[in-house]
Order: sequence, then structure tokens, then C-alpha cells
Amino acid sequence: MGQSWKENHALYLTVVGAAAWLVPGGGHYVLNEKRRAVVILVMVALTFLMGLYVGSIGVIDSINAKPWYAAQVMNSPVVMILGSHVAGVQYEAQKALTEGEKPEIAPYLVFGRANEIGQIYTSVAGLLNLLCIVNAIYVAHQRSLEGVRA
Amino acid sequence: MTTLLISLLGSFTTPMRISTDPASILWLLPLVATIAIVYKTTKVGSMRLWSFTRETAALFGSILVFIVAAALILYGVAWIVTGQLPALLDSSTF
Repeated sequence: MGQSWKENHALYLTVVGAAAWLVPGGGHYVLNEKRRAVVILVMVALTFLMGLYVGSIGVIDSINAKPWYAAQVMNSPVVMILGSHVAGVQYEAQKALTEGEKPEIAPYLVFGRANEIGQIYTSVAGLLNLLCIVNAIYVAHQRSLEGVRA
Repeated sequence: MTTLLISLLGSFTTPMRISTDPASILWLLPLVATIAIVYKTTKVGSMRLWSFTRETAALFGSILVFIVAAALILYGVAWIVTGQLPALLDSSTF
């Protein structure tokens, strides 16, 4: 019985954490905290999109800016798809240039202040979502414990 | 509709042009607002509009005050190191 509760509890926390990572605010939505979920979704998505608009999707650089990328991935797994697309375009462009050809798609190059602000916005959005993931898991854990005690 | 969607998506593939003038520091404000709102969303007991707005505004203001204080201290340190210290060392007997 105890083992079963622990297994279910771990699964429950994993589901809450996964939901919070898949969609910002998803963890709080699962916990029936709909207002919090909406605020988190709007703010995290808005900050992330603002970062992308300022710096372009080139700020998601999984090759040359790994620490920033680690923070950006906390937004959602969708960032990984964007990161692999950017890296793929960069690889193809470099390959074409070494072969002396013109690349089909220009790599997403971004430098200077736009790069800085874009990276900061997208990474802070990711770190804020990490805070929300941890908070959702903590609240789920507290509620489970209260349920067991009652 | 398709043209609008393409131009919307296209705007995410070219970076904005942002100068390095002092006004670019204003980019800090939306970020501080987001941090204050999301942090307070995870901390407040109940999501009531008035109490949530008041607590978020207090956090937003205190972050800004500390940033301004840190900026003033750093400016003072830079002013001493780059402006005052070389003159002091030049006139020193050592």
C-alpha cells in the first residue's frame, strides 16, 4: 500500500512537472490553479516571443551559446525543435560555403545589442518557467501530503 | 491571410536594430515587470486582483530601486578608478 502510494505520488509529480514544461503554466492548470496558469502562460510566452522578435530565432544557438540554450530550453520542448532548425541551417550554410557554393537559406546571424537582449529575454523566460515548474511540483507534493494526513 | 502569416513569421528571422545609447537601458523595464509578475504569481496565497497588483508593484519598484542603487555605486567606483585614482597616483611621492 505504502509502496503503491509512493509510486503513484512520484508519477503524479512527474506528470505535473512534465505538463509545466510542455506548456508554461500547464502544471498549475493540472493543479486546478487556472488563474495562475493563465498569468504564467501569457507572461512567459510574451517574454520569450519578445526575445525572439528582438534578436530573431538566431538567438537560440545550441552550438555556440550552450549555457543560454540550457536556460532557453526550460521554456518548452518546442525550443529544441527551433534550436535544431537553426543549427541545421547554420550547418548547411557552412557546408555550402566550404564547397564554394551559395547557401540556399542564409544562416540566422545576430550580433551586438539585439543578440544580447534577445538572449537575455528568452533565457529569463526559460528560468521563470523553471521557477513555475518547481513551484507546481512543490504544490502538488504538499497537496498529496495533506491528502494522506487527512 | 497567408501573406500576413508569412510576414509575421518572417519578422522573427531578422533581428531588430538596437542602438547602444542610454535609452536602450529601458529594455530592462518589461523584463523586470515579467519577473515581478511571474514571481508573485507563484508566491501569493490567493490570486485577487487588488492584492496581486499591489504586491507586484511593490516588487517591481524595489527591484528598480536596487538596480539604480547598484548602478550609482558602480558609477562611483568607475569614476574613482578611472578619474581620481590616476591623478592621485601621479602626484604621489611613491
